[in-house]
Amino acid sequence: MFNNSSKILFITMMIIGTLITVTSNSWLGAWMGLEINLLSFIPLMSDNNNFKSTEASLKYFLTQALASTVLLFAVILLMLKNNLNSEINESFISMIMLSTLLLKSGAAPFHFWFPNLMEGLTWMNALMLMTWQKIAPLMLISYLNLKNLLMISVILSVIVGAIGGLNQTSLRKLMAFSSINHLGWMLSALTISESIWMIYFLFYSFLSFVLTFMFNIFKLFHLNQLFSWFLQNKILKFTLFMNFLSLGGLPPFLGFLPKWIVIQQLTFCNQYFQLMILLMSTLITLFFYLRICYSAFMLNYSENNWAMNSHINNFNMNLYTIMTFLSIFGLFLISLFYFMF
Amino acid sequence: MLKLVFFLLFLSPICFINNMYWMVQILLFFMSFIFLLMNNFSNYFSEISYYLGCDLLSYGLILLSLWICSLMLLASESVNKYNNYSNLFLLNIVILLLLLVLTFSSMSLFMFYLFFESSLIPTLFLILGWGYQPERLQAGIYLLFYTLLVSLPMLIGIFYLMNKMGTMNFYLMNNFMFNYDLLYFCMMCAFLVKMPMFLVHLWLPKAHVEAPVSGSMILAGIMLKLGGYGMLRVVSLLQLMNLKFGFVWISISLVGGVLVSLICLRQTDLKALIAYSSVAHMGIVLAGLLTMSYWGLCGSYSLMIAHGLCSSGLFCLANVSYERLGSRSLLINKGMLNFMPAMALWWFLLSSANMAAPPTLNLLGEISLLNSIVSWSWVSMIMLSLLSFFSAAYTLYLYSFSQHGKIFSGVYSFSGGKIREYLLMMLHWLPLNLLIMKSDMCLLWL
Repeated sequence: MFNNSSKILFITMMIIGTLITVTSNSWLGAWMGLEINLLSFIPLMSDNNNFKSTEASLKYFLTQALASTVLLFAVILLMLKNNLNSEINESFISMIMLSTLLLKSGAAPFHFWFPNLMEGLTWMNALMLMTWQKIAPLMLISYLNLKNLLMISVILSVIVGAIGGLNQTSLRKLMAFSSINHLGWMLSALTISESIWMIYFLFYSFLSFVLTFMFNIFKLFHLNQLFSWFLQNKILKFTLFMNFLSLGGLPPFLGFLPKWIVIQQLTFCNQYFQLMILLMSTLITLFFYLRICYSAFMLNYSENNWAMNSHINNFNMNLYTIMTFLSIFGLFLISLFYFMF
Repeated sequence: MLKLVFFLLFLSPICFINNMYWMVQILLFFMSFIFLLMNNFSNYFSEISYYLGCDLLSYGLILLSLWICSLMLLASESVNKYNNYSNLFLLNIVILLLLLVLTFSSMSLFMFYLFFESSLIPTLFLILGWGYQPERLQAGIYLLFYTLLVSLPMLIGIFYLMNKMGTMNFYLMNNFMFNYDLLYFCMMCAFLVKMPMFLVHLWLPKAHVEAPVSGSMILAGIMLKLGGYGMLRVVSLLQLMNLKFGFVWISISLVGGVLVSLICLRQTDLKALIAYSSVAHMGIVLAGLLTMSYWGLCGSYSLMIAHGLCSSGLFCLANVSYERLGSRSLLINKGMLNFMPAMALWWFLLSSANMAAPPTLNLLGEISLLNSIVSWSWVSMIMLSLLSFFSAAYTLYLYSFSQHGKIFSGVYSFSGGKIREYLLMMLHWLPLNLLIMKSDMCLLWL
């Protein structure tokens, strides 16, 4: 990706688009940033060797352009209404805005494009879609003040993310549904405070980076590939797949920390109903994460004779080991830096 | 306590050196002897460092975990012999032990929860990684999801308590009392599943049947006690609610204990039989604990320790037969007296411990539990008498079916008991029968 100079340009543009959105003090400016971000992400997706990416970029363009248009419409409506395009109290207009932003971020009632799109992307693009592309819409959502609609979206997102992933065998779709589930958590963290959302988002980004990094290097796209992969060192494979448990938010791993913070804050706000749904749906996501990990955690199983050796260069391996270490023992290490927070 | 933590932490690199299996095993033993010297017979938290500490309740259970974990390594010699990922196995057990020590020694409720949940993961790895059959996947899923389904609500309950009390310290927590039923169910259900109470016990026999011997030992020896330990810690907070609802759990576990004993009588699988018998025993522990009488709280602690040693020993014996005959079925494991007469002695001794015969710690525990339950309501005498009768019956069934009678004619040849195995049995049995000499340590924790 980085050998192609046009991609560097577009990545820069994409980052600038997000920054414009996040820093702008008017809705029109935010909309502009979103458009820049959209238009520079599309060329990033295209890949000459893969016809699916064209389809994916078309889908992405259609959904995002629709969302942007409606957002622009709502912004203009707001401006006509009270001449100040910063403050929102009108619930109808903000409802339109919220739904466009939910569509942009891929949250539940508007999530249908998301897994299909992921199927056509390379892992690095998928990573960008799962993490970076969520920053701008989520920041804008935090400006809106519509708790009920947001809560419906939270509940639907976590449930869709959990149920949808049960039946998948494609790793990209699994990651997409897991991303929808985590998006539900992030939206619910947004209802409490932005800093909690930021913590959750950072940890989620780190964990999904670790996983997509592995998938990208070894070109893993389907569940059945995992059974014949990396058989030369089972212990390493075992360790690598513990990242999934970390992403699932099981206690001794780093992924528990953001969940812990969100659960604690939601309890303090007496949001028990929402919290129960979040927790139970996370259990279901944990189930399909665990399904991915079977090949690693069952140390002995009947293996293919033609299992291939997987190669990884030293630098990547070291980087990867360090990240895995952080993701597994991070929770204990965090306590050493506790006083910095 | 920090010295134990660091000991275990620095033990983990040794796991990766080849041929260090016995070194790790001996070091774990060494550690439990060090820990023996750390007893100062006080009912307050002592040995406090970095929010860790132990009173008598946690002392006994930490000692039990250290002991059982080193015996686990002694029992699963086959992992070392066939090099079945023995490095990873050692590391897994050391980490499991570390998490267990932290669970029992943490002085805050939240830290307890954190390590309580964490200790599930290495157990899951043990079952999935070193189990025998493809069904171990199902067993692992059962184990994980039964426990997580109820423990996540408990997490909410813990944060609620934290919000209301402003502290998570066990010692300070005793000043509070909560009269709120949702909270009660949230807090209790996690421990009830972990115990396991009858009706939510289904994960346990599955996990035992699929687990390797080390997994069964840790499950029966320690994991079940986590539930009882947690309940002993939080029951003081919720005693008013417990007066209201305690009868539900007590009745379920007493009736369930009888039913499970009947299930035991029709088992053909050695491990499943022992697993169900531990469900029955934990049922008495649960019933006695929830009466909240002094007898009951003390007796439940005592029986937990006794049961940890005794059932872990029985699983070891089952494994000794399994390694020779290649089967756990009682139709094949019969007449073992003909082949291994010395091992039959251990079968006898541990079976008699399982039915609470006189010099064992089980007897002490069961007597005090019976006292507490009968004093709670005389009606429970019916179930208790059936329970004690049937628990003697299925233990006799286990013993006489596996040891007496003709040998299975299809067996070819195998070695007799090894010194390692006799040592293993001795180390299970000896504390079980000696601890009653110093019974204030394993009874009067309150």
